Amino acid sequence: MQFVLKNILHFMPLIFGLGFLGPLISQILAMAGHGEVAGLPALAIGLTIGGLWGMIAQWRGRWL
Amino acid sequence: MTISTSPNALRRQEQQIARKYAGRLPWEAVIWGLGNLAVWLALWPLVFFDVMPLWLAFPIATLNVMLCYLPSHEAQHDIIGRKGTKWRWLNELVGHLSTIPLVLPYRVAKVTHIQHHLHANDPDRDPDYSSMAPGPWQAIWKSIQNRQPGAKGGFNKYGDILRDIGREDLLLDGALFQIVHFAILIGLALSGHAIEAALLWWLPRQIGLTYIQFFLSWAPHHPADGTGRYRDTRAFRSSWGNIGSMGMQYHIVHHLHPYIPLTDTPAAYRDMRHILEQRGCRLENI
Repeated sequence: MQFVLKNILHFMPLIFGLGFLGPLISQILAMAGHGEVAGLPALAIGLTIGGLWGMIAQWRGRWL
Repeated sequence: MTISTSPNALRRQEQQIARKYAGRLPWEAVIWGLGNLAVWLALWPLVFFDVMPLWLAFPIATLNVMLCYLPSHEAQHDIIGRKGTKWRWLNELVGHLSTIPLVLPYRVAKVTHIQHHLHANDPDRDPDYSSMAPGPWQAIWKSIQNRQPGAKGGFNKYGDILRDIGREDLLLDGALFQIVHFAILIGLALSGHAIEAALLWWLPRQIGLTYIQFFLSWAPHHPADGTGRYRDTRAFRSSWGNIGSMGMQYHIVHHLHPYIPLTDTPAAYRDMRHILEQRGCRLENI
C-alpha cells in the first residue's frame, strides 16, 4: 500500500500534466473556438503541452 | 493601574488577563468553519447546473479557501472543545471538515502546528520556517516555490518534521488527501470539466495557500530572527487591517496564550499591551 502511494505521489507531476493540464488546455482552446490548431485536434495539443510540461516538472522537481 | 516590573508579578498579571478571555466556546468559529465549507460545496452543483456562472463562483471559491484554515486552527488548539468535554465532538468535526478545500488533513495540521508553537523560528524544527523571506514579494514567491514538487519547504517540510518526531503514521493522511484531491481533479478534467475543476478548486487553492502562508505564517513572524516566548512573533499593523489579515495583527497574544479564541485576541492584546511592552516584545505601530 505504502509503496503504491509513494509511487503515485512520486510520479504526480507527470500524471497531473497529462491527466489534468492536458484536458484543461484542450478545453480552454475549444472554448476559445480553436477545436483544431494546424490540423491537430485541441486534445492532442493539450496532451502534448501538458505531458511535456509534466515531464519537465517531473525531471526538474518544479513547475516554474 | 500600578505596574510592577517584577517578572513574576508581570507573569501573574498576564495570566490573569489571559484567563479572562479563556474558556468561551467560539460559536463564530464553528459557524465560520462549517458554513464556509457548505458554501464551497454548494458552488459545485450551482455551477454544474448552470445556476451560477463560473466567473462568479471562482472568486467565491477563492475566498472559501482563504477562509477555511482558521476555524480548524481553533480546533487544533482545542478551543472549541477540550478532550473529555461535551463539545469535543464539535471541536474535532470543525477541525476535520473545515480544511477540506485546502486539502490539509486535520491531524497533520494539528501536530505540525504544535511543533510550530514549540519551536517558532527554529530553522530546523519549526515546520513553517520555510515561509520566511526578506520582504512581502519574496514571501509570495517563496510560498509558490515551496509548493513545487521537489521543494524542501512548505508541506514537504511537514513530512520531514513528522518523521523527526516519530509520527510517520500521519504521512498516510497527507498522501491520501493528495491522491484523492488529484484523482477528483483528473476525473473532472477527463469528463470534460477541467475548467470548472481549475476555477473551483485548483486555482483557488493556489491563491488561498499563498494568502494563508503570507498572512498566517510570514507576516506575524517576520523577520523571524528571534526565539523564545516574547521574541518569536510580533504585533503589527497590516495595511489590510485586522480582518484582511485574518486577525494576525495580534498573533503575539495567540503564541503566548493559544487557548484564547481568535476573535478575542484584539481585546486581550489591548489589556496586556503594557505588560508586553515591559517584556520587550515587538509591538509595531499598534
